[in-house]
Amino acid sequence: MMSHDELLDNIAAYALGQLSPAEAESVVRHMQTCEQCLEEYRFLRPAVTAVAYSAESVADVSPLLKARVMRHVRAEARRSRPQIWPAYALAAACLAIAIFTGLANLSLNDRLNGDRAQAVAQLNRDRAQSAAQAQTIADLSASDSQRHRFARGEVVTHGTHLYIALRDLPAPPEGHVYQAWTLPKASKTMAPSVTFEPSESGATVVRLPEAATAVVAVAVSVEPEGGSKQPTTKPIALVRI
Amino acid sequence: MEDASRLMERVRARDADAFEVLYDEYHRLVYGLAVRVLSDAAAAEDVTQAVFLKIWSDPALFRGGNFGAWIARVARNRAFDVLRSRTAHAESALSQALPVDDALEDTALARIDGERVREALAGLPREQREPIELGFFGGASQEQIARQTGLPLGTVKTRIRSGLRKLRTVLTGAVTA
Repeated sequence: MMSHDELLDNIAAYALGQLSPAEAESVVRHMQTCEQCLEEYRFLRPAVTAVAYSAESVADVSPLLKARVMRHVRAEARRSRPQIWPAYALAAACLAIAIFTGLANLSLNDRLNGDRAQAVAQLNRDRAQSAAQAQTIADLSASDSQRHRFARGEVVTHGTHLYIALRDLPAPPEGHVYQAWTLPKASKTMAPSVTFEPSESGATVVRLPEAATAVVAVAVSVEPEGGSKQPTTKPIALVRI
Repeated sequence: MEDASRLMERVRARDADAFEVLYDEYHRLVYGLAVRVLSDAAAAEDVTQAVFLKIWSDPALFRGGNFGAWIARVARNRAFDVLRSRTAHAESALSQALPVDDALEDTALARIDGERVREALAGLPREQREPIELGFFGGASQEQIARQTGLPLGTVKTRIRSGLRKLRTVLTGAVTA
């Protein structure tokens, strides 16, 4: 049986990366129940990082190395960037068309039935919808929005607002819809969010009602109409934010 | 320089300029560490390139905390991978990967300068400095160090712990001074 001082010595070895996986696991288990050892680890770990910094090169590193790395990075960035912005531009254009069409219909309805109260109610609904659409466009275009890319699009957060933008989403099978899921902070299970159909424009932008600051991951899966309480199919997207 | 965590958020959005700032700030650490482990400049360049391209291709690997500590761990592990691949029986002689719980590391020493650390390490008694460097850069286990030096294992363990504690204390004083 190891004394506690010996255990503390092992914390140093663990911090320095000197233990076998089995020994390291034993130290981690011990730290889960021993505040003194955990504190020792917290104290020593920055010293280990400092040891790493002692090797920091004082000589210039070959500029060719940077050139090689940045050539790859910039080429990849160029390839990936245009894929999403045209989708947003398209989404924005579709929203603008929707606003225009709504207003035109309102004008026609107003002339036909002369029902002023109904026209005012419709106008208020359209104004609310227009404001929501304008907010969406503003959030998606904001330079300080956070973007988390995945193969089919990206999750965008702006303040507490949370969006998922998908491109070229095929129609779901008959009797099915797409459903978004969020993983709340400190939770281990996905919570159901909204269901939606893909847009014909090629860019589907969905505002999720959950606060972006309260979730750590977003997923999308195909579910039966009406949605599910738990995902029943493999997610087509799972994005940590 | 903009905070490394914020730069990594921009990297996740495929911002090559943000990535370049990170490269400029941390490539000497990655390269220097790889040279120290591998004693081979060309192989260290390969490790540096591999580490940064991995960060670009999979930025979600960084989950917050002290970026310098994280990238140093990635670089050291990668360099040891290269060493292992060179010799069929080397694995048993090399230390295991550094712990992955970066969140436990505070940021008190997040912006430490290499020169200052070298001075602090040089200020440690030799019997404390050498086993720390053998363990970190040489991948030697405490048992191997005990065999090499002829010291009891308990003495080696205590010297390493005392050396790290002293280093932490000296550097914290240097940062707050």
